[in-house]
Parts: sequence; structure tokens; C-alpha cells
Amino acid sequence: MSITSLSFMLFLFLCVVLFYLCPVKHRWVVLLVASVVFYAIYGLEYLPFICFTTVTVWWAGRRMGKLYEQQDEVLKTLRDRTKKKEVKALYKKECKRTLVLVMVLNIALLCAVKFLKYFVPAINRVLDWSGLFQGEFTAAMIIVPLGVSYYTFSTVGYLLDVYWKRYSYEPNLARFALYAIYFPHIVQGPISRYNTLGQELKKELRWDTDRVCKGVQLMAWGFFKKLVIADWLNVFVEAVYAETSVAGLVYVVAILFDAIQIYTDFTGYMDIVSGASEIFGVKLEQNFNHPFFSKNVPEFWRRWHMTMGGWFRDYVYKPVTVSGWMKNLNKVTKGRLPDTVRRYIITAIPILITWFLTGLWHGTGKTYVAWGIYYGVLITLSTICTPGLQSLGRKLHINMDAPSFDVYRMVRMFCLFCGGRLLTRPGSLHMSFQVVKTILGSFQPWTLWDGTLTTYGLSIPQMVVELACIALLWWVSYHEEHKGSVRDALAEQNLVFRWALLYGLVFAIIIFGCYGPGYDAASFIYAAY
Amino acid sequence: MKELLEILNDLRPDVDFTTAEGIVSEHIIDSIDISSMIAEIEDTFGIEIDMEYMTNENFDTVEAMWAMIQELQD
Repeated sequence: MSITSLSFMLFLFLCVVLFYLCPVKHRWVVLLVASVVFYAIYGLEYLPFICFTTVTVWWAGRRMGKLYEQQDEVLKTLRDRTKKKEVKALYKKECKRTLVLVMVLNIALLCAVKFLKYFVPAINRVLDWSGLFQGEFTAAMIIVPLGVSYYTFSTVGYLLDVYWKRYSYEPNLARFALYAIYFPHIVQGPISRYNTLGQELKKELRWDTDRVCKGVQLMAWGFFKKLVIADWLNVFVEAVYAETSVAGLVYVVAILFDAIQIYTDFTGYMDIVSGASEIFGVKLEQNFNHPFFSKNVPEFWRRWHMTMGGWFRDYVYKPVTVSGWMKNLNKVTKGRLPDTVRRYIITAIPILITWFLTGLWHGTGKTYVAWGIYYGVLITLSTICTPGLQSLGRKLHINMDAPSFDVYRMVRMFCLFCGGRLLTRPGSLHMSFQVVKTILGSFQPWTLWDGTLTTYGLSIPQMVVELACIALLWWVSYHEEHKGSVRDALAEQNLVFRWALLYGLVFAIIIFGCYGPGYDAASFIYAAY
Repeated sequence: MKELLEILNDLRPDVDFTTAEGIVSEHIIDSIDISSMIAEIEDTFGIEIDMEYMTNENFDTVEAMWAMIQELQD
């Protein structure tokens, strides 16, 4: 059940009716049942996986929480510092055992469903040798549960937060299950934190007409981004990469369209699910903050897929930075290596590890490993070189506060983002290399006006519509970046104008959208991660 | 407190840490120096700073860092 389908709209409508018919204190139960049904519709075979993760993580969180409570009780009775330290160490060790056991189990499960396809021949050899399984084991037999990366990361984050005493554990399994499986965030995030989404789901969820209207508006904007912009651009980009002989300029247009496509695809999805969640009164975490206004790579990743970036920052980068072996490396290299070299090494290691793992999270092929290393190197260079470049800029009397310099930095960032997409979108590193070679060696600028561009699935009127929609998207982003929320600005307009705008948006989706029996709307890109 | 200020001043001699706020959250001490700073604090005060103490609140002011060090020494 794709969230852009009519069946999802019907499902959502039924959920909303049942939700508001139910007494306030039981409304979360309606959300839990609806989420389980939603998940089961995608595939009953997925349910055991998410149930396993939910139950094991909940159990571990509860056990660690109870151990910490016991520890506090024991500590109250002690006065001796050494004894207190011993008691703390004892309880910490026990908690760590629980944490490691459940984390390893769940991360192993995630790795198994993601990496098992690379071991199919070896598995077949073992099965043949053991005689346990008649027939051939194929990659198609591997079950990859819906949203496995997202719910595993959300729940493992909860586990670590309880272990680090950031907040208390959830005593109620059903409440925890709702946090894990809540249908607006299960397919492709956001990777929610328990202390935000869990608490949102515990609020008294009451009807609020303004909020419901805003939720519907946001959904309509999300559908517009996905069906009118992302899916049509996808038609062009797919057609270009399917061809073997393409002009360099056409590749450049495909790269630009691809960048806008992935942005509108992912943010469109986020707007639809955030809007749906707002109808129930549950605010999902912000996942995008107009990333194309970023001026450098670290800032870009604080604005793009923010919940994933935050997850890796808090649960990988920070622990690696302050880990025992990093501290040892610090001590060992002090005085032995020049201070500058030492600082570069200490900076680079946690960033490269984090981005290597971020690449693997996105995909398990070589292209994603290369993509992770690409961003790891860029962020390391940005962190190391920024002070030197700023000093150089001052010496050369470059006004780095000028708006024109900001525009240059934004364009540079957009180009770097396109470079990252170029590693993954063509499908292989060889193909990526071919694309660059063609751009440099066979640019053919005349293909811009000789009609070649219209041979890749988009006619001239469709191109004009797409460019107009992209201009509208840019205007909305610019307004939100510099002047504040467009939805809040619309709320101040009169009723007739607001309804006219909503109808306009709906008609634009109906008239210009990429859907229906003749088209196969592209599935959401990030749902595959 | 004096030893803590010495560690911080070694990293950023240009900052008056007695009045500074947002030492970590405002990137006064950046990610490059955090690892060095923690290693120095642990060595100097004979403590081990676990991840549960690695919050911006514990590192944003000298007073907060000092309170954390004393808690860990207890």
C-alpha cells in the first residue's frame, strides 16, 4: 500500500474516523492497531521481525532501568566511596551485558537481511554439504522487513539512551510497540527518538480543526512534490541512464534533475506522513531544513535527513570520538607526531568511520561505500581546512559575509551534492565514470535547443510545467528560509483564498501528476534503505 | 578549577573560559579538540568520563564541567 495510493487515503480516512470516535484515553490503542494492520498489509512475513526487535529492546530497556533503580536504592544505604564505586561498576557491568546482547542480536538481524544476498553461493554450498535443505537458496528468498533500517535504528537509539541514563525506560510493552511501529514513520523515517515521539504519543490526542487543516495542507504539498515534480523528473532521469549513447549536456541536465528528484521524493514523503500524523495530533521530528541553502558539507548534513545525521552523530561519532582507543591514540601520538598532523588524524578517524557506516546504511554495494567515503573525506577536509581558508580569504580581502559569496558557497554545495548522487544513481562506479568522461569529452551544447532533451520522456510543455513547479518549490523554500513558515503565512489569509489555493494544489496534482494506469509512479527512493 | 582552566586555555588561549557559555554547543571547543580535552581532564583528575556524561549541558560552561568532575570523583 503505497502512501501515494488511493487505498492509503482510504486507510487513513478510516483510521481518523475510528481514532476520533474512540475515547481520548484509548486513542493510542487505535493508532497501535492501525499501525499493525498497515504493517501486515505490506507483508505478514515482516511481522515476526519487528515483533522480535520490539520485544527484545523493550525487555532490555526495562531490565536496565530496573537495575539502575536497584542501584540507586543500594547507593542510598552506603557511605563509603570505594564501596559506592564498586556497586556502580557492578550494576553498570550487568546493564552493559544486557545492552550488548540485545544490540548485537538486532544489529546482526539488520546486517543479515542486508548482507545475506552476498553470501548466497556460500550458503548453498553449506546447505548442499549438510543436506538440511533440498533445492536452491536464492537472494529472492531473503525477507527484508519493511523499514528495518529505520525501526532498528530508532529502537537501538532508545536502548543506548536508557543505558546512558538520558531518560527512563518505557514500562508498557504496548506503548513501546506503538513507538516502534507507528505507521507514519515506519516506512522511511524519520528515525524518531523515544523521548520525542514516545512522549508525543503519550499526549492527550484531541481534535483541533486548525491542526487537522494544516495536516491536510502539508499532505497536499507532499503529494504535489512527489507526484508532480519527483515522479516526472524520474521519468527523464531513468530514460537518460537507460541509454548507452547520451550527450554530456543531457547528462548534466539528468544530474540536476536527479538532485531535485531525490529532494522532492524524500521531502514529499516526509510532508505526507508528517501531515497525516498531524491529523492525529502527533508531531513527527523535522527531517529536512531547506538543505540546498547550506553553505558547506557539515551544514548540509545538519539540514538533510536530519534524524539520520543526528543518529550517527549521537550514537556513532560521539562514542567513537571519546572512546578509550581514541583517547589512547591521543596520548600515544602526543609529542611523537607534529601537533598539526596529530590533530588531523584525531579529526579524520571518527568522521571517516561514521561516514563509512552511513554509506553502508544507505546500501551495501560498492557505490554506497564510495558515497560514504566521499562525504567522510569532504567533511574531514571541511573541518580541517575551514580555519585556514577563512584566514586566506581575509588576507586576499575577500568579503566572505557578502550575499554573493553565500550564493557561491550554496552553488558549490549543490555541485558537491550532485557529485555524491553521481556515485550512486547511475548504478555502478564504472557507469559513474563513463558519465563524467562523456561530460568532459562529448558535451554537445547544441542538444539544449535541438530537441534532444524532449526525447527522454518529457515533452516541451511538460518540461515547462516542471521548471515552473521547481521555481514554485524554490520560492517556498526561500520564503521559509528567510521569512518563516508559508503555512503560518497562509493561515493569516482569508478563508476563500486558502480554499482556492488548496483546490488549486489538488487540481495541479490531478492534472499534472504522474499516476494512473498508464504510469507506474516510482517507489520512494529512501524506502529501500 | 585552576587545572581545568589550564587545560581549556591550552586548547584555546584566546577565550576567557571563566565567562564563556556554550563551550561545546557553540563550538568554542570544536570537534577536533574535544577528544584531547576529555583525555586531559581524565588524566588530570583521575576520572573516567562515560558516554552518559557526554552531554552539552555538562561541557557548556566551566562550572558545569567542574560539577561533573566533582561528581565523578565522589
